[in-house]
Amino acid sequence: MYDAIYIENFGKPTATYVFEHFANDAASAASGKGMPVIRTVPEKIVSESTVMEDIEPAIKAVFNNVVEMLTKPLTAEEKSPKRREQENPPRLIFKGNLAEVNEFFYRRGWTDGLPIIPPTEEAVAEMLTGTDYPADYLVAKMEPRLGKATVERIAINAVMAGCLPTYMPLLIAGVQALVDNLGPGKMAASTGSWSPFYLVNGPVRNDVAVNSGYGASSPGNIANAAIGRTFGLITKNIRGIRKQVEDMGVLGNPGKYSFLVAENEDNSPWEPFHVEYGFRKEESTITVCFPQSYQQMMPFGTDDKGIIATVVGSIPPARMGLFGLILTPNNAQALAKRGWTKKTLKEYIIKNTIIPDDYYSRLGLNLSGPTDRTAFMGPGDDKQIFRPTAERPDPVQIFVFGGFGSWMGFLQGGPPQITKKIELPKNWAKLVKKYQNVVPTYVKY
Amino acid sequence: MSSTKSGAFYEVLSPWAEADPIPLHGLAPRLDKLDGKKIGLLQNSKRAAPRLLDVTERLLKEKFPGIQTSRFRGKLFSVSAEEPERIQEFEDWLKGVDAVIAAVGD
Repeated sequence: MYDAIYIENFGKPTATYVFEHFANDAASAASGKGMPVIRTVPEKIVSESTVMEDIEPAIKAVFNNVVEMLTKPLTAEEKSPKRREQENPPRLIFKGNLAEVNEFFYRRGWTDGLPIIPPTEEAVAEMLTGTDYPADYLVAKMEPRLGKATVERIAINAVMAGCLPTYMPLLIAGVQALVDNLGPGKMAASTGSWSPFYLVNGPVRNDVAVNSGYGASSPGNIANAAIGRTFGLITKNIRGIRKQVEDMGVLGNPGKYSFLVAENEDNSPWEPFHVEYGFRKEESTITVCFPQSYQQMMPFGTDDKGIIATVVGSIPPARMGLFGLILTPNNAQALAKRGWTKKTLKEYIIKNTIIPDDYYSRLGLNLSGPTDRTAFMGPGDDKQIFRPTAERPDPVQIFVFGGFGSWMGFLQGGPPQITKKIELPKNWAKLVKKYQNVVPTYVKY
Repeated sequence: MSSTKSGAFYEVLSPWAEADPIPLHGLAPRLDKLDGKKIGLLQNSKRAAPRLLDVTERLLKEKFPGIQTSRFRGKLFSVSAEEPERIQEFEDWLKGVDAVIAAVGD
């Protein structure tokens, strides 16, 4: 809707086609940019449809509405819209028992469907001990609502998610990553259900026990679960992106609960991810990217030849954006043993991941080349799936985590990753000592 | 969720962020008719968008004699938000049309 608003402000009337299920999203997008009343034409064409048999009758059915949107005189409200009452609730919002608090928050759309820890003054005060920033420090305003991510508001959502205070530095850095450019906001709202994937590097990963080994992306570790979960709550409650209102993800994505790991730096043969991107090893960082899917593959062989063949042979052209190759430590070691570096591996994948000559003809399709948005593809042969651009020079990323096993992982899609340094409070060592024993112990049977 | 009335009571803070009010804008005046006008057809990079506008363009020309049309093709999802280098080109195009029909492919 942003173009419609721009054009109306330019003085030209518009009518924008909107799939009928996007009505709330369109209204929210327009209102969020200062145009609470805008003329759209709801139609019945599914997002991204290519079927003219459906499109032709759907447009004919609403054509008279299009004409009306451009010619019917404006109402008083359309000429001069009134301000809706600002949804800035009081600071202390509710009092009740645990079940009542949960029901209140759920009904307001403030949760992810799972129970939350009540964010009392006491709980939030304890959370704020995890940072030197004052509670009212504004970390960022988050698009599209320009909601204020103050340190206190981050802490409130962190309490809800079950965080420990020592996660606050990662949360603040993560919010800074999420506002680095407009990409994360767009990904959170997209029909593609792009789920953020977070990678933690540096000493802080051990300080707060972010799992980098077996089951790193499975449930069971508070840090992996709660930090990622907080970002999801922040996306709703600070950004203002809510399911089927602004978040129009069609299939949805379980990664939106939490998908956060640490790199297995201790067992990787290569430089850590953050060092690859210019940080010092002793610094700590959080990286975010937005893959759409997480796929696990058993490689053709566990030597370098088998691993690489699995990669270049398993990437179809029906994809968009970043490719994240997840290697277990032993798979990475098998590659490094044969002289592969991250750089040479990436170059090989970009050059050799191609569309076979008969790919589309076998499928009965009259297509050629990869299907990514043309603006995201640089110059290159139509057979090449990865075509770097100046804005997206590094479409292949390598993440080393997991236990010692042969499975490989693919993360598919999304814009380039963003990495931010994690700043630690002055009393970090003392804080870490206070909370470091909060780790699970499993009963043997 | 169970609706037990027992248990500890919690007075809780709101997770919903404050946001400053933004200036509001009304819509541009409408056309009196489409006959003889020049209608801009704006598409983004989503696959449905050009297809919707192909049908629209044909219907406009069938129903309104003398109407002219002009296309603008966004390379991403929103020209104004994502293609700052083309804003001048976009505005020059807008100056040359009387109204715009936009398709976002969603």
